[in-house]
Amino acid sequence: MKLLFQLSIRNLLRNKRRNAMLLVAIAVAVAGVNASNTLLRGYQYGMLESAINNLTGHVKVMAEGYVDDPNVKHSFQLNSEQLPQLPVGMVVGWADRLRVPAVIMSERETRGIELVGVDPAKESISFIGEAKIEGEFLQGADDGRVLVGKELARQLQTAVGRRLVLIAQGADGLNRERGYRIAGTYDAEGTGLEKNYVFVGLNSLQALLETEAVTELSVRVDREEQRLPAKSALRAAFPDLQVKDWRELDPQVAEMFKFADASLFIWFFLMMGALTFGLVNSLIAAVMERVKELGMMRALGMQNSTVLVQVVLESIILMTVGVVLGTGISLLIYWSIADGIDLSAYAEGAEMVGVSSILQPVLLSEDVFLVAVMSIILGILASFYPAWRVIKIRPLDALRR
Amino acid sequence: MTDPVVICRGVSRTYQQESVPVHALRQVDLTVYPGEFVSLSGPSGSGKSTLLNIVGGLDRPDEGSVSVGGVDLGELSESKLADLRLHKLGFVFQAYNLIPVLSALENVEFIMQLQGVSSAERAERATAVLDRLGLADMLHRRPGELSGGQQQRVAVARAIVSEPVLLLADEPSANLDSSTTKDLLELLKQLNEEGMTIVTATHDAMVMSYALRQVHLLDGRIEHDGQTRSA
Repeated sequence: MKLLFQLSIRNLLRNKRRNAMLLVAIAVAVAGVNASNTLLRGYQYGMLESAINNLTGHVKVMAEGYVDDPNVKHSFQLNSEQLPQLPVGMVVGWADRLRVPAVIMSERETRGIELVGVDPAKESISFIGEAKIEGEFLQGADDGRVLVGKELARQLQTAVGRRLVLIAQGADGLNRERGYRIAGTYDAEGTGLEKNYVFVGLNSLQALLETEAVTELSVRVDREEQRLPAKSALRAAFPDLQVKDWRELDPQVAEMFKFADASLFIWFFLMMGALTFGLVNSLIAAVMERVKELGMMRALGMQNSTVLVQVVLESIILMTVGVVLGTGISLLIYWSIADGIDLSAYAEGAEMVGVSSILQPVLLSEDVFLVAVMSIILGILASFYPAWRVIKIRPLDALRR
Repeated sequence: MTDPVVICRGVSRTYQQESVPVHALRQVDLTVYPGEFVSLSGPSGSGKSTLLNIVGGLDRPDEGSVSVGGVDLGELSESKLADLRLHKLGFVFQAYNLIPVLSALENVEFIMQLQGVSSAERAERATAVLDRLGLADMLHRRPGELSGGQQQRVAVARAIVSEPVLLLADEPSANLDSSTTKDLLELLKQLNEEGMTIVTATHDAMVMSYALRQVHLLDGRIEHDGQTRSA
């Protein structure tokens, strides 16, 4: 093996210019794939983060029928002892909420919204916990004021400190109406969120609707991989309720997530497929230049399989060096854009659905590893044809060339 | 009498040259015994190289049988033929055919590496052979840095380092001047005197004069086969 490795390295050095250009092509292709992967992953995980932040969480407990008819009659009593003992570090946080459709009225405008009763202390798991607040955040679950989205406030032509009237259906099916002062306005990543959600203290809303129930328990786990174990534990703890994860609650995002995964593969095979043709071409040239030499080696007793291994080794060495270079370049690219790319000039549509206008690249080590391994495998496959071309020629015919 | 190294019986070989059959060999019988120095001579197209290639397992006859070192080549697969060439035969080619990216020492070690010989033994044997052939100062030079005669000596070193049963040389002097050819032939003579069996295909009269036995071919047949000088 040492002989073959030695021969391979030296043969590669025989044509420095050609192989240097090939190395650059491999490095650029690998860097391009890795860099685009970080952006695609950034978009994918940005979408996921937005979906989870958007009051969905990783897993949610709800009463039967609430998803189809988000009404206070589809609610449940939450006993804190019901919460399962999940492993330390699995759950980042959980929040119980009372969430009902409502109508909001200012002096000038009326809008349909979702009224969300929250305990502010628990809302670090959702977007509202991180939103920029003008005015004041809700002070507790008893806070009888509202937090309104900045865009909604603009539409209602109202401001912090002014009063709004909210109408929602109570537990008895009768409408309840009450005036609320605006504690603050929030600026979320998306105007869609701002126009849809109005927050109020949970206890205050329960008092208005004359219920002690909640409509959802939202749980956020530390890592996506913990979603399914958490879901199983919650299902066991709440056998009479519905437990769904974000994929079920937001199937569009789930499909987009899967689509992004598929896109990564498609992009990889497009880029590396094109490179492979170039590699095959170059290897054929390199190998056919040495037909006589390889024929001589076979005449002396080298097996065809050994010739194949030698050609494959050359390809592996080229690809490995190219992959290492390309990975290094892609890391540099990643670090240069690690703070994110501001797409706000182009991303109005994304903001409407709550996706951030800052594209934050995400570098996954498994992506980098997969690109490296798949590239080398492609390099190995690419070398079979040139090696076969040479082996097909009889040693005697090769010697006569 | 000891067993022959080479036995060819009724060997024929025909090539197609632009749909015209060329009878390179016609019913050739040849036996080579251990320690012989045989030259296969004849004009171009007489079949001498074809016969040498068939004996070396690089080509297969269309008719007849060939055995080398007691092994019938007709029963061997391509892989087994390669194995035979590696372990039992030594080749010296007209164009030296050294590996350009390996040094003289590495070229000689090449065969032993294929054979699986240990690193220490390879280095020792290769160095000894090159030293014997007067190339002790050229061990680390690549073929491009050697003269034609030096390259041919490296090729001979490569061919004999694993002590083959049979040394085959195809036009070994073709690219050498007369002085270098003489040096090469003195070397081959010395090896033969030590017991190596040599078969060479040549049209060079000087080479023929060194051989103990001349087999002259014409139009694919053996025209003359006899001793030329005493051992």
